[in-house]
Amino acid sequence: MTGMRFVAESGLWTTGRTEPATPLVAVLELSGAVLSWAIDDPREAAAQIAFTDVSRADWLWRVLGEAGHVAVAAALAGEPRGLEVTGVEIVPGSVAPLRRLAVGHWLRRWWPASRRDGIPALDRALLDVEVALLTAGAQDFFTDDTLDSDVTGLLAPHATTLIGYLQADDARVRELVRAGAELADEAGMDDEGWAELTAALEDSSVVSDLGLGRRDDYALAAGADSGPRGAAPIGRGVASISWSAVPPGIFDAAEDTVDWSVDPAGPAVVAVVRAALIGPDPATGIAVRVRSGAVSGDGALDADGSATLPLVDAQRRPMPESSAWDHDWPSTSVIVGAEASEPREVRDRVRRWARARLDQPGDRGADKAFLAEVLAGESAY
Amino acid sequence: MSADPQLATVVAVGHPRRAVIEAAWQAIGPGVEVLSSDDGGPLTRTVKRILDPLVLRLRANPQYSAPVVTPDTAAAMRGLIIDNAPQLRAAAAWFEVLKLERRRQRIRTGNAQELYFPVCFELAVTKGAPTPEDRDTAAAVLTDVHQGRDRTAIEVLHEYVASPEVVSMLSAQLDRSWRDVKPGETELDAFMAELATVLGPATSHGAAVARQRVWSAVIADATPYNLGALARVESAELPWSIVKLGLSSVAPQRPPAVYGGGDSDRPLDRTVVDRVRATLRRALDRDALPDIPLLCDEEVDRACAPWGLLAEDKQATMVAGIEVAIDLAPLDRSVSTRYALAGHIQARLRKEAYVLHARRYLAEGGPIHPRQRQIVDDLASYPQPYLSRLWARLHGRDVWQEPCDDVDDVRSLLEGVARSVSLDHRSRIKSMLELQVAG
Repeated sequence: MTGMRFVAESGLWTTGRTEPATPLVAVLELSGAVLSWAIDDPREAAAQIAFTDVSRADWLWRVLGEAGHVAVAAALAGEPRGLEVTGVEIVPGSVAPLRRLAVGHWLRRWWPASRRDGIPALDRALLDVEVALLTAGAQDFFTDDTLDSDVTGLLAPHATTLIGYLQADDARVRELVRAGAELADEAGMDDEGWAELTAALEDSSVVSDLGLGRRDDYALAAGADSGPRGAAPIGRGVASISWSAVPPGIFDAAEDTVDWSVDPAGPAVVAVVRAALIGPDPATGIAVRVRSGAVSGDGALDADGSATLPLVDAQRRPMPESSAWDHDWPSTSVIVGAEASEPREVRDRVRRWARARLDQPGDRGADKAFLAEVLAGESAY
Repeated sequence: MSADPQLATVVAVGHPRRAVIEAAWQAIGPGVEVLSSDDGGPLTRTVKRILDPLVLRLRANPQYSAPVVTPDTAAAMRGLIIDNAPQLRAAAAWFEVLKLERRRQRIRTGNAQELYFPVCFELAVTKGAPTPEDRDTAAAVLTDVHQGRDRTAIEVLHEYVASPEVVSMLSAQLDRSWRDVKPGETELDAFMAELATVLGPATSHGAAVARQRVWSAVIADATPYNLGALARVESAELPWSIVKLGLSSVAPQRPPAVYGGGDSDRPLDRTVVDRVRATLRRALDRDALPDIPLLCDEEVDRACAPWGLLAEDKQATMVAGIEVAIDLAPLDRSVSTRYALAGHIQARLRKEAYVLHARRYLAEGGPIHPRQRQIVDDLASYPQPYLSRLWARLHGRDVWQEPCDDVDDVRSLLEGVARSVSLDHRSRIKSMLELQVAG
């Protein structure tokens, strides 16, 4: 007998699967529910459904069938608790487009682009256009506006970039741009860039010959490999960045990308920290903290991922160079960004999954690769 | 969380509302493609802008808005949609015509479906299908839509209040009305107990019936009126501070101005003209708008009424909303709620905050980039934007005399306001991070 098991999870009716931790989870916020998948679990029906409001999930019959919808809506009318609704299961294939959209959103935010690991960045404009098109296609699931229903927000930044892509040799790129422009037209995006793109599509001679200007996202990478300057440091080491502690599009996603050293500075000492960047955004203002026993230093990174932090003792007094030479530096931790508990194994799992996507792009269903991934995979050869 | 799940024994009958609409739509057959999605169902905007308001007319037929409808209701809905098939086909044809005209005039403003769908249905009903010889209608309609009936009405309003005599007449009326409102004796404890039932859980049918009865009693109770009237009395004992709630910039509340004056956007500070302007802006889809002098006259009395709302059910809803709002703190896991309804909303807000975290827009409970600090701090003071938006919705209902007497409707209003404030907050957190991409 088939059935769906529900539990009360933080006060919400939730199908009884536990979601994995970030960054392994791909989520999608629909009208009345949040769906989650483990990105590296290929079973699309393994979705966890957390109902934020069952009565607003007017699409449920598309996923559970009409009888399933009615049974679940009736069963979940009361306060959330443990419950099993018999005779209900996810209609095969019904959530595949949703899972693909969730993965698209995940790619926008977590793709582990890294020069050190050889994982190329994804083209933002092409990825956003494809996610926008999938969103428009899934509009039946967005009766209420949600964080994920905003088609214009996805398209808005990219008009100028897409005009350049019209001259691409790659027919797949031109096709996607054309579809994106039509969507923007329907959505009433009225700024100059979009009007220009539409005009360019109508009269291809208008386009200046920009070629496929795919941004080289490695351009901003700072020379974290270039080694420390000046005299031999008092202490040195490397640290890793927790992805969930920093925004995407700034740091190289490899391990051990933060080089630090403790150097004399006049009578006192400073920690010099340098993080490897991937861009396109600058690292400006991202917090960085050095902790080594009772010694600490706090500050913020500059645009190219560097910071020089005066080190102080427990009483907030500057650490003199003399005591620095006696200090046990190998136990030092360097934290970039917010506090986050994110084991390295999780990031390795993501990297394995990302490499597999690049090596063998899926061609259908929930696993169909995004064009930005396909192009990144091709560029890697 | 209970360990052993119980089997659901509910024998469920009925049909999902949207499935009913979809099936009826498929039965219309060809001719409505521009209103349909790729799989042949109606576009979500077709449902929202045409079927719900103009064919099913949910305002008059609330039974059609239930998430799951009975077989009889389903049959009635299906009948209505199929009966309107000729109009829907004509509306589809009008949409093609308007889209061509939009392209011809190189208009790109606004979502074409959102703006034109209702007009297309209106044209289909009044004129039937478009004819090739009619070239003027499309152009005239676009001018009307894009230059705006609301803008015209707002111009009339501004002309009306440009006259010093009008302003001084309204001011005199405002002085009188304001003095007419006086608090009576209140039994706060008994009232709060009733409110707790309204905002509490309803697990059985009997409990739901009882909850409706108590809500009717709450509306009949003078306490919401008295609390609103007390808010303007020096040294009065209110359970909350109207300043902290963001409803007023000063306590006690001062009479609002008719026109001009302060720039406060707090609901109870807003000028009479500002309130009327909001009404006109929201009136886009209304056929009938009372004439401007009448609207101003009524708004003066409304602005003087407790909570700036005339009807008792709106005043009661405002007080219920305040009680819910002060329980809400999306990012603070330590805050617990006093009412089951606030608990639901809180659980949802936290899930929505989790979505931001899962998308790398927030670290665990805090900003992921220093630029977000301000907006994350704003989230901590959730009651203020919540109550501003609730007040605006209630104000609209008060103007159009739409009732708040159904307890489930009120509860879903209180939930819907939370949803839209949360979306607004989260969009701002998101855009704080995405600013750079655009640059």
